[in-house]
Amino acid sequence: MAKNRTNPEDFARPIRRILIGALVVLLLALFLLWRIDSPRVERFRTALVDRTVPSFDWVMLPVTKAVQMVQGFQSYTKLYEQNQELRQELKQMRGWKEAALRLEQQNAKLLDLNQVRLDPKLTHITGVVLADSGSPFRQSVLINVGERDGVRDGWAAMDGIGLVGRISGVGRRSARVILLTDSSSRIPVVVEPSGQKALLSGDNSSAPPLEFVEKADLVRPGDRVVTSGDGGVFPAGLLVGSVAQGPDRRLRALLAADYERLDFLRVLRSHDLEAITDPGGLVAEPVTPGEIGPPPPAEGEDSNG
Amino acid sequence: MADPLRRDVLMHRGIFVAVALFLIFLRLLPLGSEAGRLPGPDLLLCLILAWVQRRPDYMPALLIVAVVLTEDMLLLRPPGLWTALVLVGSEILRSRIALTRELSFATEWIFIGLLMFGMFLGYHLVFAVTLLPQAGFGYAMTQAVATVLAYPVVVWLSHVTLRVHKPGMGEVDSMGRRL
Repeated sequence: MAKNRTNPEDFARPIRRILIGALVVLLLALFLLWRIDSPRVERFRTALVDRTVPSFDWVMLPVTKAVQMVQGFQSYTKLYEQNQELRQELKQMRGWKEAALRLEQQNAKLLDLNQVRLDPKLTHITGVVLADSGSPFRQSVLINVGERDGVRDGWAAMDGIGLVGRISGVGRRSARVILLTDSSSRIPVVVEPSGQKALLSGDNSSAPPLEFVEKADLVRPGDRVVTSGDGGVFPAGLLVGSVAQGPDRRLRALLAADYERLDFLRVLRSHDLEAITDPGGLVAEPVTPGEIGPPPPAEGEDSNG
Repeated sequence: MADPLRRDVLMHRGIFVAVALFLIFLRLLPLGSEAGRLPGPDLLLCLILAWVQRRPDYMPALLIVAVVLTEDMLLLRPPGLWTALVLVGSEILRSRIALTRELSFATEWIFIGLLMFGMFLGYHLVFAVTLLPQAGFGYAMTQAVATVLAYPVVVWLSHVTLRVHKPGMGEVDSMGRRL
């Protein structure tokens, strides 16, 4: 154990300690920079992921397929039971199909009566899921359409049935979709028959809770949850899921999208809504900012009435 | 005499980078990431601590920083924070090599387990202080427990396949100094 004092390591050690300290400070500064000015660092991250992950694609595909095959073999054992269940479900579905057809006809008739015009601009791009974020605490996936295909931040992503998430971060060849279950996801929704507005806020569980429900009494488990289109985040009326009540008496949304099999995602091309700025001369006086409450009579005269 | 040893160190560093990339790649595969699943162990952390404990010369601090920072970036974690924690943890370990070298594996395991819990707690705490949205405390602790449990497996595997072990009494490095 006894060391020679002329060993060069003895002089190098304090310098090394200082350098390590500097490195730690540098890393913490990077974290703080990210916390303060997140968009810039996230842009860098998006660029990095955009460069690296798609080039992994050729390895990812066979591995993913192989694991899925193994899972497929495992499921053969349950095939018979599944078959029986499916037959029963099919029987029920036939009944529902009749009901749906009748409702569709009725709906078409009503739409015709009301002369509703559906938004023709609501088209979509379909992308394949390249990778998911991997860590258990960040719920997001990477899809293989990006800026090149005209994808923009904030657009909605759906699978065949329901809403999956929102585009957040667009690279040239890839885009990141923050899933509804991510703890930073907040989506304004409406609970359908009662029309109660709420906020669907992800919390890393598979059924995100509904928060800020105006009158929770009017919301029943089983009600449909659709996007409300408030705040211009999403187009209104996209199916999210159905209401369920957890054992903790909180209202949660069971998501309609199949989160266990996110293979193809449909990105809805939603165009910016035209903002209505003109209040309309006949309806009311223009509200000037800073003026809250009844205007003082002297100043109210000169604006058009 | 000096050349093979130097080559051995470089080779192990290369293997470490390859294994780390493989682990990150496994995490990125679009398989099984439904919300609410219990988080698995952080194998990369096990690997880093196990190798620093055994052969600190295989793991220079800059290499650790580069690898973990890449992981931070690719796995969408706040960049830098976990890297700083891993660096501090590995340096704590490195500075106590002379003390812990003679310990039995059980004592080492307890020591490393405490270190890991400290790191996960610190991570959680910084999230709370900077008001970042984060997963529940139970989840973080589940991950810590899983990581501590996975540690002996990683040690055993790296001993069997790569012969990473604590240097014996007579071994010397490339400069002829004792390890």
